[in-house]
Amino acid sequence: MTTTSPSARTPEFRLLATPLVLFLLVFLGFPAIVNLVYSVSHVSFETLRSPQLSGFSNFAAVWNDTAFWRSVWFSLRFGALTALLECGLGLFLAIFLSPLIVKRSWLLAILMLPLMVAPALVGLMYRLVLHEFVGPVPHYLWIWFGTGVSFLGPGSAFWTLVAVETLQWTPFALLLFYMAYQAIPADIGEAAAIDGAGPLRRLWRIELPLMAPTIVAALLIRFIDGFRVFDNVYVLTGSGPGGATASLSIYIYEAFFKQRAIGKAVAASVLLFAASFAVLYGLNALATRRKGAAA
Amino acid sequence: MTHAKFTAQIRKAGLLATAIAALMASPALAKVTVLGWPGGPEETALRAAADAYNAKADVAEDDKVELLFFNRDGFWDKLQADLAAGSNAFDVNLLATYSIGRYAPFMEPVELSGEAAGVYGDAVLKTMQFEGKQFGVPTDLSLHFMYYRKDLIDALLNDDAAKARYGEISERLLGKKLEPKDPDAWDWDDYAATALYFTQSVNPESPTRYGTVLQIKNLLFNVMVWQSLPRAYGGDWMDADGKVTVNSDAYRKGLETYKLLYDNGATPRDSLSYEFPEANAAYASGQVVAMLQWNAAASDLTSTEKSPTVAEVTETVAPPTGPEGRFTHIHGLGFGLNKNAANKEGGVKFLQWLSSKEAALTYARNNGAPALTPEVVREVAQERPDLVKLGEFAGKYGYVMSGGTSAGALSVYELQAKEFTGYWSGQQSLDEALANTEKGMAELLK
Repeated sequence: MTTTSPSARTPEFRLLATPLVLFLLVFLGFPAIVNLVYSVSHVSFETLRSPQLSGFSNFAAVWNDTAFWRSVWFSLRFGALTALLECGLGLFLAIFLSPLIVKRSWLLAILMLPLMVAPALVGLMYRLVLHEFVGPVPHYLWIWFGTGVSFLGPGSAFWTLVAVETLQWTPFALLLFYMAYQAIPADIGEAAAIDGAGPLRRLWRIELPLMAPTIVAALLIRFIDGFRVFDNVYVLTGSGPGGATASLSIYIYEAFFKQRAIGKAVAASVLLFAASFAVLYGLNALATRRKGAAA
Repeated sequence: MTHAKFTAQIRKAGLLATAIAALMASPALAKVTVLGWPGGPEETALRAAADAYNAKADVAEDDKVELLFFNRDGFWDKLQADLAAGSNAFDVNLLATYSIGRYAPFMEPVELSGEAAGVYGDAVLKTMQFEGKQFGVPTDLSLHFMYYRKDLIDALLNDDAAKARYGEISERLLGKKLEPKDPDAWDWDDYAATALYFTQSVNPESPTRYGTVLQIKNLLFNVMVWQSLPRAYGGDWMDADGKVTVNSDAYRKGLETYKLLYDNGATPRDSLSYEFPEANAAYASGQVVAMLQWNAAASDLTSTEKSPTVAEVTETVAPPTGPEGRFTHIHGLGFGLNKNAANKEGGVKFLQWLSSKEAALTYARNNGAPALTPEVVREVAQERPDLVKLGEFAGKYGYVMSGGTSAGALSVYELQAKEFTGYWSGQQSLDEALANTEKGMAELLK
């Protein structure tokens, strides 16, 4: 029996593709075009339907805004640090706990629990946990050391937010790495052991290289997620004293809704889109080149 | 399946979908839809008021009120987006003093009932006015009380050694020797001196860990709590010519006082992340002597069930005074008419009733917080003694900053919150904070 794939020229194919194309045009294409127009316009909530073109003044305003660069720096630091910490911890736990999880798989379900909580709720939970008069952590610190600790003060808020994000999302990295670790064929390790390779050498020379694609993917996913962080940070500290904990997402949200600078907010999001596209395109090109070289 | 058969089936499916869409798009019954503030006493009061209105014999079936509630999170942003999009999903919507100017282009002024002035008084009606026009009925008023521990203050007033220590601390940290006073007679220096005296890091003999709790998270509502301090020294957003006047001695005094309290540990070290609930929790723990807080906290802080440590020893007075007088920020929540209302006539009728004495008393008896004139509040004084103080303070000390109802008012508060918390947290100097605020406000209020 032979099967034929439908030609893109047949009416059936076109008809079936139409909803998807329409969906993409309406929900992605149209907003993208509107955003591009708004980014070069003078626009307010009163003139959403009649924006006036204003050249690149919105981009200039964003470019010259120190708060924008501060939020970019916050997001880059936050994204990079949390990605490294989550993946480092996740990798360690995946390998260290692997023998235990193999025997008692329900442990994995327990370790995944933090992923089930909405980030905004995590923010609210830590507002309670870290409160000097309500939370258990400051309470015991006061009893043991006789002093209050400022978890969300100007000097410590960033690190507290990194810790909260890491605690919630390390299980995600752990899950990916555990799956990748389990997928390594056992005979490779056995052969290496027969050849005299110790556990550390096997880890370094065999297991980690085999897990490398998963590690890179996890780092990338976690970096993107950390870079665009909004909910838990916004619930815990808002944009922080003087805007100290404003991520790029918070900067855009506040410019749009709080300052009502719609053009500026959209210009910032267009810049973010362009930068993200350039980075992802570069990474993709790099990966393709490596693949070609390996082949 | 042949091509013709497939096409026919697709056509049939298309017809069915069109018929369903047409059914779903059929016009709704002509009710008056009211968008309210969800989840608090305001919702309870609005529900009671709507029930009372719907039960009236002279309200036509088409004008009965139906209530609609968004989530509180991002409420104002969602409302703004809906109004700007020309939504007619609601006829009457919530509005607040600080956002009237923002929503006014999408709303219509309303004429209230003839009783409104006698029920609320002019100062309160003004909280719902923009450019001289009445845009809403002021159903709930918010202002600030100073909550304090009567037991601890009385002990201080009756202890000569403590008074001497109080004088030493005030001289060392405030530069002038002060004597303890009754809180109802405090000026802002007395407030600061008392806060420092009751702070263990300043005075190890203090019975409490902190003298006060400041809510100074980068949040617009926290600026409202703070700004009665500069107001008592003559501070205002603008002068009569529309020139921004925040770079003034009054604002310096207000900002420096909070900075002094924060730097000397008179407030918890995490105060820069505190807002309403955190400040309440700190006060209710019994480790704080006095704080400025919204009137909405009164029921919790004086409830022996919710705040057993402090409920029976907590008193409330108006915020401290200053050389230019005693002030409390006021703003109202209220209801106004959507310009794109589907049932505009019904909406107007409901708003007129809502501004009557009958509606105000119904609202008050069901957990609402309307600021009523002394003559009207007398009728509910036994059931709602807190409303007596609310009406009295609003009438005597209430103020709205010049420009406080303009289209840029919310953004001004946001800007001030960002710049002032930047100063309190030590990230920028006082001069920088005031210069940045002045520059930003000039843009927002022009």
